[in-house]
Amino acid sequence: MSITPYLTLAAILFCIGLYGALSKKNAIIVLLSIELMLNAVNLNLIAFAKYGPKPGLAGQIFSLFNITVAAAEVAVGIAILINLYRNRGTTDVTDMDTMKR
Amino acid sequence: MDKLPLLTLIAFTPLLGALVLLFVPKQQGRLIKTIALIATLIPLVLAAALYAAYQASGDPVQFKEMYSWIKIPLNKEGLEQITSFFFEFKYNLAVDGLSLPLVFLTALVSAMAALASFHIKKRWKTFYICFLLLETGMFGVFMAQDLFLFFLFFEITLVPMFFLVGIWGYLDREKAANKFLIYNGIGSAIMLIAFLIIVATVGFTMTQTNNEVILSYSGDIHQIAHNLFQDPNAFVNQAKPNNPFFMSDTMKWTVFLMLLVAFGIKLPIFPFHTWMLRVHTEAPPSIVMIHSGILLKMGAYGLIRFGVLFFPAQAKEAALLLGILGVINILYGAALAVVQREFKLVLAYSSISHMGVVLLGLAAFNTSGLQGAVFQLVSHGLISALLFLLVGSIYERTETTELGALGGLAKSIPFMSGILLIAGMASLGLPGLSGFIGEFLAFVGMFGTYKAVAAVGALGIILAAVYVLRGVLSITFGPIAAQYAGIRDARLVEAIPMITLVAFILLLGIYPSVLSEPLQQTISGMDQLLHSAAGHIGG
Amino acid sequence: MANDFTSYAWLVPLFPLLAFLVLIAAGRQLREAGAYISIVAMLASFVLALLIFFERLGHTTDYTWNQLKWLTIGDFQLNMGFEVTNLNALMLVIVTLVSLLVNIYSKGYMHGDERVNVFFSYIQLFSFAMLGLVISVNVLELYIFWELVGVCSFLLVGFWYFKPEARAAAKKAFIVTRVGDVGLFLGMLLLFWYMPGHSLDFSAIHNAFSQGKIDPSIATWIAILVFVGAMGKSGQFPLHTWLPDAMEGPTPISALIHAATMVAAGVYLVARTMDIFQASPDAMLVVAYVGGFTAIFAATIGTAQNDIKRVLAYSTVSQLGYMMMALGLGAATAGIFHLFTHAFFKALLFLGAGSVIHAVHTQDIREMGGLAGKMKITAWTFAIGALALSGIVPLSGFWSKDAILSAAFEHNQLLFWVGLIAAFFTAFYMARLFFLVFAGKPRSDAHAHESPAPFTFPLVVLAVLAVIAGFVFTPFNGWLGHWLGDHAEAETANWTVMILSTLAGLLGIGLGYVMYGKNSVSRDIVAGNAPWLYTLVYRKYYIDELYDVVFVRGLRLIGKAFELFDIYIVDGIVRLCSAAVVGIGRLGLRLQNGQVQTYGLATLLGLLILALALAGRRFFHLG
Repeated sequence: MSITPYLTLAAILFCIGLYGALSKKNAIIVLLSIELMLNAVNLNLIAFAKYGPKPGLAGQIFSLFNITVAAAEVAVGIAILINLYRNRGTTDVTDMDTMKR
Repeated sequence: MDKLPLLTLIAFTPLLGALVLLFVPKQQGRLIKTIALIATLIPLVLAAALYAAYQASGDPVQFKEMYSWIKIPLNKEGLEQITSFFFEFKYNLAVDGLSLPLVFLTALVSAMAALASFHIKKRWKTFYICFLLLETGMFGVFMAQDLFLFFLFFEITLVPMFFLVGIWGYLDREKAANKFLIYNGIGSAIMLIAFLIIVATVGFTMTQTNNEVILSYSGDIHQIAHNLFQDPNAFVNQAKPNNPFFMSDTMKWTVFLMLLVAFGIKLPIFPFHTWMLRVHTEAPPSIVMIHSGILLKMGAYGLIRFGVLFFPAQAKEAALLLGILGVINILYGAALAVVQREFKLVLAYSSISHMGVVLLGLAAFNTSGLQGAVFQLVSHGLISALLFLLVGSIYERTETTELGALGGLAKSIPFMSGILLIAGMASLGLPGLSGFIGEFLAFVGMFGTYKAVAAVGALGIILAAVYVLRGVLSITFGPIAAQYAGIRDARLVEAIPMITLVAFILLLGIYPSVLSEPLQQTISGMDQLLHSAAGHIGG
Repeated sequence: MANDFTSYAWLVPLFPLLAFLVLIAAGRQLREAGAYISIVAMLASFVLALLIFFERLGHTTDYTWNQLKWLTIGDFQLNMGFEVTNLNALMLVIVTLVSLLVNIYSKGYMHGDERVNVFFSYIQLFSFAMLGLVISVNVLELYIFWELVGVCSFLLVGFWYFKPEARAAAKKAFIVTRVGDVGLFLGMLLLFWYMPGHSLDFSAIHNAFSQGKIDPSIATWIAILVFVGAMGKSGQFPLHTWLPDAMEGPTPISALIHAATMVAAGVYLVARTMDIFQASPDAMLVVAYVGGFTAIFAATIGTAQNDIKRVLAYSTVSQLGYMMMALGLGAATAGIFHLFTHAFFKALLFLGAGSVIHAVHTQDIREMGGLAGKMKITAWTFAIGALALSGIVPLSGFWSKDAILSAAFEHNQLLFWVGLIAAFFTAFYMARLFFLVFAGKPRSDAHAHESPAPFTFPLVVLAVLAVIAGFVFTPFNGWLGHWLGDHAEAETANWTVMILSTLAGLLGIGLGYVMYGKNSVSRDIVAGNAPWLYTLVYRKYYIDELYDVVFVRGLRLIGKAFELFDIYIVDGIVRLCSAAVVGIGRLGLRLQNGQVQTYGLATLLGLLILALALAGRRFFHLG
């Protein structure tokens, strides 16, 4: 079994995520896209852990960490988004430009 | 008297005053003004003592105070034979014949300006804190004997000045303050780069004693002068390959021109003058007294101390350029002063014209020219301070200084009109008043070097008469407008600084020896330096 | 003989200075006392000057004291002090005497003016400066006082500061003389560099130039530049325009400053530095021709003026031209002699004019007339002054004018005829003035009456002097020339010159009499037949207009052009720089739009470029 299909899949996932994160207007979708990129990373980690030059458990454990952190991140992110929605009545990221002012 | 750190006392009394002011409630206007006045009068008394105690003969650099201040050890990896290798800036104050009169001038004009500031209308506390900070900065500039210290004090003057113009000025004050800060900031930046180059090359010294070898970078101006001119073995003078400390002629020219621009902005030399017009018109008059009276002199002082005295050969080669710049300043400023409709602008352009005389004296590169430059600095400091003091007092009464709107004030305010006439006469170089001596010496000097340049510059003397008389007579002579018929003449608090300044202007004009005596040692030292530099060019 | 009084000559200028300080300090409290303080101070000066003068009579060596360390320039020391030569002693007497008389006169003339003490203080300052000028020991000291008298003249011309004309006249007086002063200034600088040992002392100048130590071409430069200074002060063409305008000042001032003393300072300066001029024949020629031209030029203008003081002012310009001409011809004694006599009779004329103005309250001679009956003393003394000025035997003016004309006759025939014609015009305008003012019928119904004693006393004294002052130096008595050390002038009576000059004077008076006294020849004979000529002379050859166009407007134009340059080019470049910075900033601002996604994209692009660059390095084996 070769590592290439895994890496290809991960790259495709990452690019889709990146595209979504940079171009989508809806903040929820942007958040989802970021999750997609993270999962692409997880896929890479596991693939390298299994088929890489030095196979071992570290990569798999690290991906577990990653999933946890991602979950936490989504939780915080969604919480912020909900609050923002309550305050400003929008989930459109182009409206979230308070940093400019 | 020996051990008393007189210079430190002079320089930091104002700062102390500012600290005291911090603890005074801001409603206590009278108390604040009194404290501020005392904080400027003490340095004045001390500066007078300093002037009296200064020995006209012997080593011109006197009242030295030197303490090690910032000493950074440097990495001496690979230099095993070296005992220590460091970077040192000293707290190093002293005065010589060049800075002594300017220190006294600073003390005098500051005290007078503090008195004149009594009628400012708002935020006295902040005003006087800024004012006193500014004074400390100015003292430091004229006393510092270390490049780093000089730069530090130089910058200290910028910040309070920015606020003084920006908060207490007239309508367009913020623009003026910004312009001031940007121009001078650029000047300071250029100066800093030039200083860094100097410290990194000339400032590098190797001292060998019995079994110790010490390498150091230093900003001490005497060390630098020593390395440049007296020590042929100094690194800076050795044109060996791979000697990063060697200063080639190109490099010297670059640094000299950088200093010329940096201090030229302050002086100001055409075409860097437009910022000071705005400051002259927008800043409160008592601050313009300081600005025109002292801050402009810092430019000339720096140019002499660092530009000319560090790079005499270059300066000497650029003498014609300096002379022509001086003449341009004189005539350009004078021609513009003739057509201004606002008295403050007349004075601003006349300052440009008068600073041209300083350049002219410098460019002469002989004793009388240099002495003329110093005389002109001091005299213009007194005269422009007096003129702006009057402008402030007149503006307070008439709320305008437009020449067309005023007239006949000699009827309602004869005392102030008389003083204005004296100030005007001093400004146009009437013998018997201080302005003449500077002009005379500068022109004598220039006449010995470049006759044609001096002759063209002498046209400025005629133009000075035209613009001064036009300005002064439009204000004081002629029929008086009805609304000014009832205005009151000078109050005591205004009359005191006026009379004091007039007294000094007269003293310098009638008996210039008071200033020329302490100058001699320094001037002849400078002259020798310039001559030996000229020898280098010839050889 | 000892120098008992001479060594105290420095006190002569000091008395007026003290009076000035007292007047300035005490000012308004003094009231009437101000005038008396001034008079006493001047009297003290006059007495001392007189004592010095008599002490000098037997002397030929100069008394010099210059020990006051004034300024150090390197290893060169500039000292101040005072010097009494015979010429100086004579000048001291002239100045103190005229000043004393004018002080007395002013007490009457300025009576009732609320700033009378200011007026007296200015006169004292002027006297101080003028006396200081006279006894100056070196050129710089002279220059200092030279400027100071200029300022006093300025102050006094503008004494009635609320009058716009006075303001303009004062300004003009200062600026025009300043043009000349710059010449003197430059001349002084040249002297400084070319004199051995940088000495500016008159004695050193005398030595250096009379021994030919200075290159003649340099001497020419110095002489011309010094002469430019003298031109400004002494109202020589083309710098004469300020002097007639200066008549806006109070009349005693016109007598003191603008007739007798300050304007003569130019002549004095040239006489004092005669050695420089004698080292350069070209410069002498310039002086002579400028003087001669001014003499005739101003005399013609004088014939067409209607303001009593302006006529006298142009007459002064013309007479100063005479003096300059004499100096230029090498006849220094004649020039100084004319200065001496002129001081008396011209001061007399001005004071007389003041008396008239005081009585009729106008200065226009067309509105006067028939005053001789009402103002006997004024009329008689004025007549004496006018005759002296016209050069009628045996009044003082005759002898001094004769001395000048005979010098011209010997050296330069052209200038002799110029001088003679000028003498004719002089006599003519004085006759016109006298007959219009004092003869005929009153043309206005002012109740004129003789002026009080403070007016008439100085008039009488001056009239006496105007009669007798000439006898110190006649062709039959060359005492003055010897005393002033001018041995070259062994005067012999030149009867041709005497007769011609008397004829010219009589002819002028006669023509004036028939035109204005008897009215047998129409007054409008010139104005009617050649109106352009009359207008040309009446408008003073349009010199003022010319200066206005060329210098005043020219300067303003240059100033305006520079101002535009300053605003749009110099400041424009500055604004351009700041605009460029702001523009770049704006560009950067557009990226900072607050959109995280844009930032992300930029980061991504940056990362890509970095990665590509790294890959590229690898690829091209540059690492």
